[in-house]
Amino acid sequence: MSEEKTTAEILRDTRTYGQVRCMNPSCITRITPPPGATKVKCPQCGSEWRIFWIKPGFPRVKGPVWETSQKIANEKLAEISKKEVK
Amino acid sequence: MALNRKVAIVNLTTGEIDIRPIPLEVRKAFLGGRGLAAYLLYKYSKPGCDPMGPDNAVIFSAGILGGTLASASARTDVMTKNPLTGLLGSGNFGGFFAPELRWAGFDHIVVIGKAPKPVYIWVHDGEVEIRDGKNVWGKSVTEAQWAVREELGDPDIKCAVCGPAAEKGVKFANVMTGIKNSNGRGGGGTVMGSKNLKLVAARGTMDIKIAHPMEALEYDKKFIEQITSAKVNQTMGELGTPFIWGATNSWGGIRTNNFQYNQLLYADEIEPENIDAWSKKSFGQYNMAACFACQVHCRARYRVPDTPLARKFGVANNYDEGPEYTSQGAFCSEPGCTRLDTLLICNHLVDQYGLDNLETGSLISWAMELYEQGILTKKDTDGIDLRFGNDEALIEMIHHIAKRDTWLGNVLAEGGIRASEIIGKDSFKYLIHVKGMSNLHSDERATPGLALNIATASRGSDHLRSRPAIDLYHLPEPVLRKIYSTPIPYDGPLSSDHTEYVGKPWQVFWQENCYMAVDCLGICKYHTTFLGATLPNFEEWSKVLYYNTGLEMSPEDIWNVAIRCNMVERLFNLREGMKKDDPYKGEILAERYFTEPCRRGAPDVIGKYIDKEKFLKMREEFYRYKGCDEDGIPLPETLKRLGLENLDDEPSRI
Repeated sequence: MSEEKTTAEILRDTRTYGQVRCMNPSCITRITPPPGATKVKCPQCGSEWRIFWIKPGFPRVKGPVWETSQKIANEKLAEISKKEVK
Repeated sequence: MALNRKVAIVNLTTGEIDIRPIPLEVRKAFLGGRGLAAYLLYKYSKPGCDPMGPDNAVIFSAGILGGTLASASARTDVMTKNPLTGLLGSGNFGGFFAPELRWAGFDHIVVIGKAPKPVYIWVHDGEVEIRDGKNVWGKSVTEAQWAVREELGDPDIKCAVCGPAAEKGVKFANVMTGIKNSNGRGGGGTVMGSKNLKLVAARGTMDIKIAHPMEALEYDKKFIEQITSAKVNQTMGELGTPFIWGATNSWGGIRTNNFQYNQLLYADEIEPENIDAWSKKSFGQYNMAACFACQVHCRARYRVPDTPLARKFGVANNYDEGPEYTSQGAFCSEPGCTRLDTLLICNHLVDQYGLDNLETGSLISWAMELYEQGILTKKDTDGIDLRFGNDEALIEMIHHIAKRDTWLGNVLAEGGIRASEIIGKDSFKYLIHVKGMSNLHSDERATPGLALNIATASRGSDHLRSRPAIDLYHLPEPVLRKIYSTPIPYDGPLSSDHTEYVGKPWQVFWQENCYMAVDCLGICKYHTTFLGATLPNFEEWSKVLYYNTGLEMSPEDIWNVAIRCNMVERLFNLREGMKKDDPYKGEILAERYFTEPCRRGAPDVIGKYIDKEKFLKMREEFYRYKGCDEDGIPLPETLKRLGLENLDDEPSRI
């Protein structure tokens, strides 16, 4: 059996820690929440996310901050509707 | 040795039991688990048979690594012709049944015919018996398992069991094991019920000799480290699979109110963190359970909260496990409900009835939209106010489907296509399905690769047959290329953008082979390239297979087995009438995917829908990778290359 590293083993080097991704699909900026933070705002697209800590140093996005996400979504919907009217 | 397990062919009509070995060349061609099950189904079910009749076969299959030292090798595949779709039905559960079946000396139990009265099959140390089922028939999933343990005097017996819904002929009944491990989506439970077969009980003490035990143990340490160090599995060990629902709902990839929206707003109460908090309140910090030989522990344990709703339905404080992310979709976003107690009650009910949670929740949500549209009225619902967000109505409908005791419950129990024929009007256009099977709660309008996956999955709309889930991570192109160019080279396009159409057909094709391979081995999908990009696949499996069984197969060999097995599944579907553009049995999405844009979620998701022309091109490219023509029919040279050119005519190799 080959002792060389497999693809999956090689790709372990790409793992990142202490960060979350902005969940806006075409943004996906990496964000480092301050330890214990419960919310984080994406510096790139303005989306705001609630944070849960799996353990210290291991954050995950729990969900959107609903008010912010609704505001952004409504603006986008209005923009699309405007284009459709034109 | 690990390869000396046998196949038992059990004829419930005649009572005959035929025990046969598995020739080595059959092992090399199909390995075991789902792959060999596909071959056995093709050979042992009569072409064009009534899925509920004696000519259908139902096959219980352990993976080839089940019960060995291989990590997470707990999976059992149950395959049959699905009464819901009339096509291939296949499900897969974890738990402890597959290892027990192998310790009892068998890899596959092929059941044909129909028993004149309720029976169960008892498999133990090289022997198979058909026994009177009067003590188990009519019992819930949990009660039946304990009844057979008591009858046979062994509390360690493991069962593959169907519930009361299967006995009533509900077309989407599961095979279950343990409290909640569900072999869903395939209609295996329904077929068991139609054969008067309540359960298969297994208990074995026949050791599996490991081919290279020290090397297997040594490699297992490495394998396990690779798995447990992945963030995705650490998350799953804390929150279970609900974390997937949480992540997807965050950006708007969850179908809501049937298919009207793509995000459940203000769903904090049923987010994974809150479910976990309740589970911990029920069972403390060691609240997560695991399947055989798994280190991830993704299955939460809980008690149904003591709320007025739970008391009303008589389930307060009852024990259960899960819920999985599929239940969050089926009983929260799709019907528009946001209460934790509703989720836990519904999850408990489908587990005990042995119902497919996805199909049950999806069909109720479909009926809710029909009610909203005026296609169904209170007269049809026996007075139930079947509006979105009505928790009580949702729970009542689960009971009515399982018992088939109201007009609508009985109609929905037939599945979406038949129900739409009975309901009439425009009801079919609101049904979100592929091949007659309701879609998972995920909304694929912003994800063309995932849309192609559900359209072409062999068992109907499904995420566990070819989903390129890592597409959502926007991995850099070089990383994608490393993954998708192993074990065979691929130099075509790949895109990090999940809203793109290019490169996706190859990803779906690759994942289809990855998932088939892992299902042949009997390893859990959470231990491969499903949700994590750095988890083991073909290269690792080649080693695990060799150390445990002595079978020498390269990563490319395993890849080719997977292609062959997927082709057998396709041939089965073609034999049973699948045509690519057939809105009922075809490899096409519901029309709403092409016409209704997403209206919620992250800004880049809003407005997205599937471009039909691009979708059809993707599908054609996918067919090419499989060695099929533009209609999805395999080319003669493909069949020859795979050794399947005489599949119809040759006598069964087992």
